[in-house]
Amino acid sequence: MNQRINTAPGEIGPWVLLSWISIALAAYCLLPWTALEYGLTDFTKEEWLNALGWKFSKITLILPLTLAALVPFGLIKLPGRGTGWFFTIASGTVIGAVLIGFVTTQTSMGLGCGVVMMCLAALFAVGISELGFQRGDTFIAGAVIFVVFMVVAFIFFPVWEIFRNVLFTKNGEFAPLQFFQIITSFGVGRVVWNTLMLAFTVGAATTICGIVFALYSIRATSRIRVLIRVFYILPIITPPFVVGMSLILLFGRAGMINDALMFLLGPQGLFTPAGAQGIFERSGYIYGFSGIFLAQVLSLTPVSYMVISGMLSSINPSMEEASLTMRANRGKTLWNVTLPLLRPAIANSFLLGMISSAADFGNPLVLGGEYDVLSTEIYFSIAGAQLDFAKASALGLILLFLSLTVFFIQRKWIGKKSYVTVTGVETSGNVTPLPVGMQRCMTVFVTLWFVLVGVLYVSIFLGGFVKQWGADYTLTLSHHLELWSKGLGSGAWPSFRNSLTYAVVAAPLTTLVGVLIAYILTRKQFWGRGIIDFGTVLIFAIPGTVVGVAYILAFNTPPIEITGTAIILIITMAIRAMPVGIRGGMSALSQISTNLEEASVLQRAGSLKTIWSVLLPLLKSTIVSSMAYSFIRAMTTVSAVIFLATAGTDVATTYILSRVESGDTGVAVAYGSVLIFTMLIFTLLVQFITGRSRTEKQVKTF
Amino acid sequence: MTDSSIKIVLKNVSKHFGKVRALDGIDIEFAQGTLTTLLGPSGCGKTTLLRLVSGLEPVTTGEIWFGDENVTGLSATRRDVGMVFQSYALFPHMTVAQNVGYGLRVLKTAPEEIESRIREVLQMVAMDGYQSRYPDELSGGQQQRVAVARAMVLRPKVLLFDEPLSNIDSKLRRSMREDIRRLQQLSGITSIYVTHDQAEAMAVSDEIILMRNGTIEQQGPPQSLYHYPATVFVADFIGESNIITAELIGSGGKRQIVFGDIKISVSVDEQMPYANGPVKLSLRPEIIELLNSNPNADQRLKGVIVQRAYMGPVIEYSVETKAGTLFTRVPAHSHQFQVNEKVYVHIHPDEIIIIPENDDNN
Ligand SMILES: Nc1ncnc2c1ncn2[C@@H]1O[C@H](COP(=O)(O)OP(=O)(O)OP(=O)(O)O)[C@@H](O)[C@H]1O
Ligand SMILES: [Mg+2]
Repeated sequence: MNQRINTAPGEIGPWVLLSWISIALAAYCLLPWTALEYGLTDFTKEEWLNALGWKFSKITLILPLTLAALVPFGLIKLPGRGTGWFFTIASGTVIGAVLIGFVTTQTSMGLGCGVVMMCLAALFAVGISELGFQRGDTFIAGAVIFVVFMVVAFIFFPVWEIFRNVLFTKNGEFAPLQFFQIITSFGVGRVVWNTLMLAFTVGAATTICGIVFALYSIRATSRIRVLIRVFYILPIITPPFVVGMSLILLFGRAGMINDALMFLLGPQGLFTPAGAQGIFERSGYIYGFSGIFLAQVLSLTPVSYMVISGMLSSINPSMEEASLTMRANRGKTLWNVTLPLLRPAIANSFLLGMISSAADFGNPLVLGGEYDVLSTEIYFSIAGAQLDFAKASALGLILLFLSLTVFFIQRKWIGKKSYVTVTGVETSGNVTPLPVGMQRCMTVFVTLWFVLVGVLYVSIFLGGFVKQWGADYTLTLSHHLELWSKGLGSGAWPSFRNSLTYAVVAAPLTTLVGVLIAYILTRKQFWGRGIIDFGTVLIFAIPGTVVGVAYILAFNTPPIEITGTAIILIITMAIRAMPVGIRGGMSALSQISTNLEEASVLQRAGSLKTIWSVLLPLLKSTIVSSMAYSFIRAMTTVSAVIFLATAGTDVATTYILSRVESGDTGVAVAYGSVLIFTMLIFTLLVQFITGRSRTEKQVKTF
Repeated sequence: MTDSSIKIVLKNVSKHFGKVRALDGIDIEFAQGTLTTLLGPSGCGKTTLLRLVSGLEPVTTGEIWFGDENVTGLSATRRDVGMVFQSYALFPHMTVAQNVGYGLRVLKTAPEEIESRIREVLQMVAMDGYQSRYPDELSGGQQQRVAVARAMVLRPKVLLFDEPLSNIDSKLRRSMREDIRRLQQLSGITSIYVTHDQAEAMAVSDEIILMRNGTIEQQGPPQSLYHYPATVFVADFIGESNIITAELIGSGGKRQIVFGDIKISVSVDEQMPYANGPVKLSLRPEIIELLNSNPNADQRLKGVIVQRAYMGPVIEYSVETKAGTLFTRVPAHSHQFQVNEKVYVHIHPDEIIIIPENDDNN
């Protein structure tokens, strides 16, 4: 009858405490306590030895002795809540002391210190869970601490650094007026206005296009609608600035359209008097508002399409039938019944479009010309010779504020439901078809769209194979050869390898944290949950350029000095991709009854075992698709990493952009097309694998 | 096995969700080896009480004891409780054997023993041979049996059932509830069973606890709740009942109740606590008899049939009388009355349930 082993399930045995303490001691003895001069990838034995903890007279004995002093308390059981209090206070104090030590001495933490801190945090988790936090569940307590640490260290702290740079002068004096000086200085008003104009028009345009595509794909009786199902993959796998680049190939001064027109109409054009510049001749109309607008609409419409079509397919057909039976024609029904029903999705799509447009960095960088927006302006205040961090911070704050405002409006209007995005697009049988005339117009529109997108992608692909787009269309392999055949140490290989490595590490990391956050937010109620909740809001709303500035400010100085390392790029990619994991986790978890976990707990399983044996198998497909999507995001992201990548840690996107800047368009598009192609194959592979495993499982699981 | 069963005691237990008082100062004792049913309308706190006992939810105040062990602070993992959920909560990605053996694997039982224990417990619920099926390959009733098997396989100290039969059609429900009862008696595990079906409660329980708004209305064996409801609420909830107002008069062993225009002597105990004055009567339909002649006028209520419904074996009548509209049921083979027909209503005096007027606010 009695199943009890000496420690009941879920109880912390002494070996848990002892192993954390011994890991900490080992890390202290063997790993560098302070940061190595050139990072963990490049060091000499000398440097390693010099960075070891026991070289530092101040902590030589204090820390290991303190750790050793914890050992007996792991073995004996203090009366009452003594053990809990002891470990909470002891590990909390040591963590605090170490932090203060690093901050006051302006030293950078090394790997060993990180490991020691992690062990101390684990002991802290044991302590507070013994005190009743998370009802004594140490694993959950640890997970909460881990997530809170991630959010505080990589979201709150960097954002605070932005504030600090705006509020304090370089000498550390408090100067709250500095912000106003910066934003009232020449040009800032115009930049904000430009950003808002662009965001507003792009939001509206993508929403309209999204409605058209949604109606067309669900309601039209036409063949080409099946193409729509594929077209939303493209922007996901395309680095954001590549659309801009292809627009230049097409519409730019030396673009195909101009060439064709000049060829047809002569270099002067038709109506242009001799001597004056022709309308089409080498004109730069694609640079500036029109170009950015077009590029953003092209790349953001699929998102809007997904939001709207998800809602459209869930509308009950009987509503529309009711209207039809009351003699309203199809057009009126569409206008008076269908569109009003779609209002939440339309609002959501509009706001999403606005946020994404304001946050977009790649397209304005490539196409902006004279039209400067916040995201590029932030970059240029740091990237140039100016190094004006105060200005970059102030602009970053404005951008963050704009995007948070829109995000909160979205959350309030559309509710938290918009968190859980609609994923599957399903067509039900009995829907009202479109009015004939309207369907014809839409067919024309959609066809034109596909032709345009097709031409754009073809031109990217071909652009890599011609000598000099616009001037010399001789076919050549030289761009690709330069990229790929000069050995693994040069050309595109280093950046490609970096991108792959970082993305491979970032994808599981971001999925883990994202799903943990989703788990905590959907399943746990506790004091302090608000921190994670607000952190999530920031993760969702913060634009990439702001992350870039914030990370430069936060991690360029001790105690955490990781700019220029691979670590920071991985963390950046992870943070940028995290909304995917959080959204996916939340929608999947909300479909799994908590009774399953409770049943497992009542079978004596602790929470770790429950998550491992019950939740993970049920979340498998979510995790796989979140990993895949995070991987793609990490490979294609540019806005934040461009601030952080250095010569040694160049990634694919930053390398391409640098070639664009130096005028090697051919090389840039050659690399871009290879990148897109790789991602496409990867996506198809993942879809193939998960698609198959799902049908396999379907029989068994649900 | 019965000697190892324990009693469960709740001492002044309350549970608040924010401002909602789901449970308010509950004191109960569940005797060892018994099956107790928690009965009550939706939202009265049955599930909450069960979850407090299981440890899935912490108490706001109060204590829970299993035998002489205070388990209030113990988490669900450490309480040694088995539970059958309304939704069964079988793990969809595991076979029947994996589902049932889950807890054994958690406790690192030897593989051979796991297998034999699975077989043993599946035999008890008549599901041996289904080991390799997945839950979605089973019918609702079979899933439910597997859920019961899983709850029992670790031989817990306490078994909890949260409306285990509510997703099963009514024919099957009858046999399933007998199975559960049989298993519980066989194992002697102290059990708590939630339902809002009073017939189910009467059929399976040693004891019924009727709850209302987070408090206990009455506790006792099924017969005592049926025959001696303490409040109108209980009389109304358990079985069917006509509730009418009356007055209690007289003294000693000869007391009378006055209602409508009649007076009926009731033989009540000397110790009967009721004071003279207004009381409520609960008249079960089966103690109301309809007659068309009247040999004994002052013992009979005059009435008119206002409604009649043919139900197969029985006919239901509503009769309007001076004491109010009474509802009764008569075998179809006896004399049949028509609507608007005048009748005399005979009430068996010994079966009248008297409920004191004062402590009720219904
Ligand atoms: N997690 C919760 N948060 C807030 N209120 C809750 C929670 N769980 C239960 N309640 C409230 O507590 C009260 C009792 O709920 P409980 O689920 O115990 O009722 P029940 O008797 O099981 O009802 P039913 O027969 O419908 O299952 C209800 O008012 C309910 O709204
Ligand atoms: Mg319930």
